[in-house]
Amino acid sequence: MQSILTTPSGYWDPLMWLFGLAVAIGFALFIRSLGQKSYNKETDQTKPFISGNPEVSKSESHVKASNLYWGFMESLKSYYSKIMRFHTGNVNDYVLLLVFVIAVMFLIIVLAGVI
Amino acid sequence: MGLDFFLFSILFVFLTMGLGLVVALFIRGIDRKLTAHMQARIGPPLRQPFLDIGKLFGKDTIIPENSIPWLYNLAPIACFASAATLLFYIPLGSLDSVLAGRGDLVLLTYLLLLPSLALTLGGFASGSPYATVGAQREMVTMVSYEFPIIIGVVALAWQMTMLFPFDPNLYAFSLSAFSAHLVWAEVGLFGWVGLALILFVFLLVTTGELAKVPFDVGEAETEIAGGLLAEYSGRNLALFYLGDCIKAVAMGGIIVAIFFPFNLSPLLSISGLQANAVDLLFFFVKIIIVLFFSLMLIRVGVARLKINQVVDVQWFTFSLICIVGLLLVWVDPWLSPVLGILGG
Repeated sequence: MQSILTTPSGYWDPLMWLFGLAVAIGFALFIRSLGQKSYNKETDQTKPFISGNPEVSKSESHVKASNLYWGFMESLKSYYSKIMRFHTGNVNDYVLLLVFVIAVMFLIIVLAGVI
Repeated sequence: MGLDFFLFSILFVFLTMGLGLVVALFIRGIDRKLTAHMQARIGPPLRQPFLDIGKLFGKDTIIPENSIPWLYNLAPIACFASAATLLFYIPLGSLDSVLAGRGDLVLLTYLLLLPSLALTLGGFASGSPYATVGAQREMVTMVSYEFPIIIGVVALAWQMTMLFPFDPNLYAFSLSAFSAHLVWAEVGLFGWVGLALILFVFLLVTTGELAKVPFDVGEAETEIAGGLLAEYSGRNLALFYLGDCIKAVAMGGIIVAIFFPFNLSPLLSISGLQANAVDLLFFFVKIIIVLFFSLMLIRVGVARLKINQVVDVQWFTFSLICIVGLLLVWVDPWLSPVLGILGG
């Protein structure tokens, strides 16, 4: 069965990868089955660990999704502060930006063709 | 593909995984012993990782009440399995890998992400604030180290293409190309410096890939109580631990396969099974040396970075070094001969 996807510089075989993954999952399940399965349900054991502090409420204990890439935004804030100015919420601005980018790309392609 | 080949492949896969698992735990033992010695401690015995796994299997596997149980249990299995599949693509000394010719460096680069992705999913599924913060940090770290790795891989493949432009059987991204042509032997002075820079970045990025100090912001025991793994216990934690050990060996194996693919058997003039055994042993020794420089030495020498510093270092410093390496590799065919003429 030939399932290799090839390019001039590389290749990969998705079916063989799936085969390898299936065997590895089987191996993982076997190893997992060797461990202890039981635990004390509905006891303090299953409460979330918050360094001994009580859980105020489920919703308050969760970290907001807006903080998902905090570290990334913090590091690249000089870039984001500039790029976020474009996000005005006005469709006219977005269309203007699209036209501008298409014009620049057109110029590059035409100039590259001429040169 | 006959039945015999199929059965042989399954047997080879199991052998690779079993051997990889034992060697990975043994190397983790060496890691802990050497790290302890560098910190003027005696350290645990070499078999300590095996004892740790045995202990974890005897402990309760708690499912926290805020968790999403199916995802919480699936994440360690996915982490272990995806780390194990990496081993199928790496040549073991003079032995071909199980899936030789079935995947290249680009595939490996993306497969390296899967164990970290499984860890992140497990963290989010834990339903704990510490684990959620850890998972968020791990995602940011993943995005950060991907960029320098890709630049390095592209530089290496580019070098292969420039060195052998007319070889129709050479796939520039394949590990077999690097086994067949020792990269250091094919380049001039500028290429050497470029390759050394890329190797330097790969060694440091390994620390990030494996989430070890100074890039262990996702776990950060002293700040967020283990982060991603704060709620994990028993056999689930054991699988994450095993996955981490295997990924360390795989990462070391990839660096060895690219930069140091040479074997001992030609020097000792031996062949057959004896040669395979010697080369396999030598391969593991090379992995230990690579991991010594990329994990142990760095872990002992520096403290943990902040999350924004991780992005700074990986995106800007490492990527810049890799780009300089890429440029040096690119100019090498023109500048190194000129330097040779000027020198003498």
